[in-house]
Amino acid sequence: MANETAAIPEKLAQKAQEKGWPLDLVQQALGAGAQPDQLIGYMDQGVTAEQARQFLAAQAGGGVEPSAELKAKAEEVGWPLDLIQQALSMGAAESDLINYMNMGVTAEQARQFMAGGGQQQPQLDLSWMNVPTEWGTRARPTKHGLTLEAINIGKYGDVPDAWPYQTEMPRGAVPIPGVEGMGYSIFEKQEVWSDACAPLYEEAIQRRWRPATDVPWTSIEPLPDDVERAACQIATYLSEKAQMEADVLGRWEPEISYGYHEVKLYLATVIFEDARAVEVFRKRALSNGGGLGIQSPGWSFRAAVDARNFTEMVAIQMCLQDSLTLAEYAFGEKYAKNPAEKFIFGRALQDKARHLNYAFSHLKYVLLHRADRREELQRYLDKGEGMLATDDRKDNATKPAFAIYFGGGKDNINEGLAAYNAMRGLFVRQYLDRLKWATLDRTERLNPQLKAFIEQ
Amino acid sequence: MPTFPSVEWFNAVKDIVNNDPNFRQLGTVDTVAGVKVGNKIYELTFEAFECTNVREASENDLRDMDFWLEQHYDAWKEMLENIKRNGAADLTHTLNTLDLSAPEGFARSYDGYRRDAFYRFNQSLQDFFNASAKIDTQFAAPEAVTA
Repeated sequence: MANETAAIPEKLAQKAQEKGWPLDLVQQALGAGAQPDQLIGYMDQGVTAEQARQFLAAQAGGGVEPSAELKAKAEEVGWPLDLIQQALSMGAAESDLINYMNMGVTAEQARQFMAGGGQQQPQLDLSWMNVPTEWGTRARPTKHGLTLEAINIGKYGDVPDAWPYQTEMPRGAVPIPGVEGMGYSIFEKQEVWSDACAPLYEEAIQRRWRPATDVPWTSIEPLPDDVERAACQIATYLSEKAQMEADVLGRWEPEISYGYHEVKLYLATVIFEDARAVEVFRKRALSNGGGLGIQSPGWSFRAAVDARNFTEMVAIQMCLQDSLTLAEYAFGEKYAKNPAEKFIFGRALQDKARHLNYAFSHLKYVLLHRADRREELQRYLDKGEGMLATDDRKDNATKPAFAIYFGGGKDNINEGLAAYNAMRGLFVRQYLDRLKWATLDRTERLNPQLKAFIEQ
Repeated sequence: MPTFPSVEWFNAVKDIVNNDPNFRQLGTVDTVAGVKVGNKIYELTFEAFECTNVREASENDLRDMDFWLEQHYDAWKEMLENIKRNGAADLTHTLNTLDLSAPEGFARSYDGYRRDAFYRFNQSLQDFFNASAKIDTQFAAPEAVTA
């Protein structure tokens, strides 16, 4: 029995005022046995005063009185009043009922729906439950969590040398006939694979960082004009390079068939990290009173863009070009003028080292499984190095910008140039060392212009 | 007060980073790194989100490590004193900066590919050494590491 004079706790009264529930309604609900916390919960869930009033009316057995608008609509479409009241008492909102009527739902359909408890009971085809995949798999989290490697068990961990499906069917699922092809063009493991993909993917996910908030931007203070211009030119160049790599890799993603999803996933993180590099270097250029500089001649970009097979792209872009980029990040970190730049170069360095880890391990995988491709890979690198050397000859901005930044100003250009040459020397030495690990010796075949950096 | 270099000293730093949520936030670290101070060599094993083991090692063990950090005793001392003074390495004493400043390099390896672990986990390794600012370090006598 309703107790019209039930006391309203202060917290409930405040919530009711905030949510537009009149106090007489609150008292009515308390009198009907509702608990104060329960009512606060309803209010927080968005139950309106009107809905509550209708609910209480239905509880009291008096039926729910529809609004005049709903009554008129029901009369118009031929829904009887008792059906409306039944629907409202089951919790339907007036606006929903009007929508159903506008959609042409008949009174008979509505009655059948409510008779079924609001649920359709169609005849279900459950044959898919008998799918002959490997059932009963229970992957266990490792110290690194439930990683891609941890779920690569049983049949699901089988990475075939050739993937026979044209569709987006996940590896380990069962194909059905008639599905349209996705247009993949890479179906051989040796074309894309590296055992490092899965752990590198997890590492990339775990070691992510946020330029907007992680970089201590306020630590950047005004620099001498020539140094700021150099910093901005370097930032322009590095941002442009990162965008180019993201674009190139983005084009290859849809070529790789689903059988090698570890590669697809890892490349997605490389693209994301390239996007982050585009972002962070652009932000650096625009954060200290400077602006963007001039674009690159782009000769070496073309070599990667024009690659006709995936490994060619990896060799030119991710082995050769990224080795240079890593050296640029490392020297950028060394000569950073403030904690923000130190942070940016340091974090970008980590990302780039992962890219190299994949690239060279892929190259090694190819050479171990397709020894006949050795000369082919050498030729790709001949071409890539040649284009890089052309860039060096045509680019009149990057070298002096690095030299001014490293030297701390135009007045120390000689010191800066020595640092620049040391950077290029580091790039070449490390590039050759990594290739050697991948069983590719380029000591004699190295482009003479690049060789000069390690002979100085 | 732990003495640098010693297993005790590295374990003291290890305990700090393993209990530091900021270290975990830097992400997973999977590498076996060496530290060479004079004739003393230590092996640090990082796995997932922590440093899992510290042990004294030998010259032969260096071949099995991804890389090792090697510089003159005085340079180690200067680096750690700089970290202690500033709470973290300043702009001229980060691991990467020291690496590029030393003619033979600070991070060394027998393997040009595995050496890249120094770059991949650079900020975690930096954080590891930065954590030494939280302990009082006693430095071994130079002759103790060169004898």
